[in-house]
Amino acid sequence: MKALAEFAARTPVLVQGASGRMGRRHTQLMRDYGTHIAAGTSLREAGGNIDGIPLFADCHAATRETGATASICMVPPLETRAAVEEAVAAGITLIVTIAEGVPVHDALHLRRLTQAAGVTWIGASTPGIALPGQAKLGFLPNVALRPGPVALITKSGTLSYEVGYRLVQLGLGQSSWIGVGGDAVKGTRFAELLPYLAQHGATEAVVLVGEVGGTEEEEFAAALAAKPIGKPVLCLLAGREAKEGVAMGHAGALTYGGAGTLESKTTALQAAGAEVFATTAALVARCAALFGRQA
Amino acid sequence: MLLVEADGKALLRQYGITVPAGEVVRDAAWAAPAAPRVVKAQVTVGGRGKAGGVALCRDADETEAALKRILGSSIKGHAVHACLVEAPATGRECYLSILLDAGAGALRVTFIAEGGVEVESHALTPALTRLCAPDEASINAALAALTDDPAVRDVGGKLAALFLREELMLAEINPLFVGPAGAVAGDAKLVLDGNALHRQPGQEALLRANATLYPDALRKLDEGFDYVELDPKGRIGLITTGAGLSMMLVDELTARGAHPINFLDIRTGQLRGSPARLIRVLEWLSEHHSLRVLFVNIFAGITDQREFAQLLAAALQAQPCGNVPVVARLVGNGSEEARRWLAEARPDIAIFEDLEPSIAKVAEFAA
Repeated sequence: MKALAEFAARTPVLVQGASGRMGRRHTQLMRDYGTHIAAGTSLREAGGNIDGIPLFADCHAATRETGATASICMVPPLETRAAVEEAVAAGITLIVTIAEGVPVHDALHLRRLTQAAGVTWIGASTPGIALPGQAKLGFLPNVALRPGPVALITKSGTLSYEVGYRLVQLGLGQSSWIGVGGDAVKGTRFAELLPYLAQHGATEAVVLVGEVGGTEEEEFAAALAAKPIGKPVLCLLAGREAKEGVAMGHAGALTYGGAGTLESKTTALQAAGAEVFATTAALVARCAALFGRQA
Repeated sequence: MLLVEADGKALLRQYGITVPAGEVVRDAAWAAPAAPRVVKAQVTVGGRGKAGGVALCRDADETEAALKRILGSSIKGHAVHACLVEAPATGRECYLSILLDAGAGALRVTFIAEGGVEVESHALTPALTRLCAPDEASINAALAALTDDPAVRDVGGKLAALFLREELMLAEINPLFVGPAGAVAGDAKLVLDGNALHRQPGQEALLRANATLYPDALRKLDEGFDYVELDPKGRIGLITTGAGLSMMLVDELTARGAHPINFLDIRTGQLRGSPARLIRVLEWLSEHHSLRVLFVNIFAGITDQREFAQLLAAALQAQPCGNVPVVARLVGNGSEEARRWLAEARPDIAIFEDLEPSIAKVAEFAA
């Protein structure tokens, strides 16, 4: 988590897949937001540039020439494994992969690889991370971003946009926004963010946006109960009506039998001292009360 | 996604694992043999036995009665279109599984010498389950630490090859019948990774051969987005994007007694200037005579809402759903202009910026 704690507007960032349709657009949007985009990779356009940002054939050349330490990987799902392997080998220490649909065996391989290498991997299937008002890696919408006291950690993109947007409407904002992503196997799980959240000075409260499936919320609850962070934790959980055995849009949002149900997550989180809400309105109202705003 | 048992067993057989002789039966008038048979509902949901989907039959009369009872019934909301009718296997009932353990970031190999339906009651001690790296040698070593039965190790080795090459999330055999003649898989619970289907052509063929059993998975493969039917008699058609926000909407509407027909993550970024995908969804929704209201909720971080509003108007213009009322909530990039444009183009649509009043309006139409 060291690379995540150290991420800032000055961190030199590499965009993998910078010349694709998505890559080109978001390279510019991220830079406009304040992110220090130092380099991009592009097989087709190596040697060229996007608005003055130099493009390289591979990660090695990009890190060697620009000193980039973080990467935002915008390649398609079946190419994500090779792209992360390349970034790790080139010495990148923080990697965000946005692709939706990375095969789970690829993700398992990458999780083991990045952990062994001491690299922080966020994703896949995430809109990214942001330090509102400073920098973002990915495509979190500016309309939902505003500096403030609430750390937002989320599986879902759109539901977190809704929460972030409503915090902004209240005049509240976010200290840090981390989309861990909707896949079952991922680079960074909710529980692994607790040490970061505990020490993060700008964070006064944590909002966790979770959903049905998997055991991530339960793991987070167990870790929180074992080592409280001394900050309020508010949770919104989606998927009460999810259909058993069918992935509801997210590969990780899948239930079989009793595992991964909202009941199990709610019980565990409440036992750890977190508050759990069934509607966005209730969560937002609690945030408002916590910080003395009018909901 | 979970394969039905018959398809799971087809994969087991392909990797050399013995399964009982059996036949997939779709017609209750099937002429049953005089010998004992097991009749099992073929549905993509676990816990069939406890839900009445499995019958042990002593003779042809019992088999025919079981088929009559189970075919056409519903197991946990899944209609039964087919049953697997098998000769009963014999031997000691064991449990064997390989699971991709997302929390541990490893594979989990489990072997329990006493399997059967009550297997969940076993506390999973290290004597019964091991974590290991995702390669064949590690899986075999883990299994060797759990059992010294050569028949089980043999099946385990084959299951390991299957699990890795087919990129499974779960491969479970319960019961695994172990007898003097070797081990026979009495059941098969195989969970595929939907994201790997593009590079697993054999699996795609398996799903297509039984298309009625896997409508949601095949739809995603063919259309490139998620549409899940939740309640065929629901009153609300959802035109939504984003998995989490769409799930939350389904929860909040249902809690108010307003039932959505579907879950949808249409992915507005992939519409690429064409209303075709929206029209497809409207066509599917129009097949439900219970449809009372369309609820459009798009939070666009990136997609230009002005473009989306035009695509929506074009799709509605095609009228797949007739004149059913529409509630639209648009927020994000360019949404102010989009709402203004839509209000002029379609004054009949109830347009909102905020979510709560739009949910209330939808609930009103659905009441």
